[in-house]
Amino acid sequence: MVLIFGGAYQGKLDYTLERFGRSKDDVHFCNDTDTDMPKGKTVVYEIDKWMLAMIKKNADATESIKQFITENPDAIVICNDISGGIVPIDATFRKWREAVGRAMGQLAQNSGEVVRLFCGIPTILKSI
Amino acid sequence: MRIFISGGCKNGKSTYAQKMAKDQSNPPHPLYYIATMSAKDKEDEERIVKHQAERDGWGFTTIEQPRKIEEILDKHDCEGSFLLDSLTALLANEMFSATGDFDGSACERIAAGLEKVLNRVQNMVIVSDYIYSDAHIFESLTEEYRKSLAALDRLAARHCDVVLEVSYTQIITHKGRDLFNAIY
Repeated sequence: MVLIFGGAYQGKLDYTLERFGRSKDDVHFCNDTDTDMPKGKTVVYEIDKWMLAMIKKNADATESIKQFITENPDAIVICNDISGGIVPIDATFRKWREAVGRAMGQLAQNSGEVVRLFCGIPTILKSI
Repeated sequence: MRIFISGGCKNGKSTYAQKMAKDQSNPPHPLYYIATMSAKDKEDEERIVKHQAERDGWGFTTIEQPRKIEEILDKHDCEGSFLLDSLTALLANEMFSATGDFDGSACERIAAGLEKVLNRVQNMVIVSDYIYSDAHIFESLTEEYRKSLAALDRLAARHCDVVLEVSYTQIITHKGRDLFNAIY
């Protein structure tokens, strides 16, 4: 597995497509309403949005991420880093923020490569 | 050098930026501070006075340029050392008018102006703010603002020789490490 993360609009998708020679057809675009587990594509974009969809519906996002990791050892996962702002006043966003933080840790531990994007520039945090 | 510097709030970005702009000043060419804040109320005015006091004694010549950044090229010595603090304010000024109107073409306009400036000026430090890690789904205008600022950040990062992130007074060099380390 590969984890690509960074703040919003930092060039994560552009970097991933170029670096791994993929096109948008290879990408599963998550959104905050669809709770189904991403499947059938090699790149999963904004996995945090899938988690938000689950949290909104009181589904167990943390358990689903564990299952996703087990079932998709070759996935390239793109995640927004939402850990840097102030603690949200809204309980749903608070749960989401913590769940994504924990998920990013698990994704990073299970990834052979971890890359952080800053203003379009990659930093390799882990590489095997 | 053209240096882009960003990071979270109150972590020392502006102080580093001032120091770097001063370090690369080249007398008799001036050391310029491009003032981008356009005061909307008393709180803004007080903040501006505080910023002015912080720059006092550094030798900056202040350029008031809250909009149309490319105009600095015609009015000032391009061989001077410029400090632009910040892209964040520049975008807010052009995107949201004092009367609350939204201008969707602001980002494109600033990008074109900034590109002209960065192609012409050799010594410049540009400050921006890293506002991309909130756990929140914003309403569309705020989201448009974040997206636009990120686009300007990335454009500046492409054109600059050095790209720095300040994390609680510590510096991470994302681009131009050798160039930067040779000086600092």
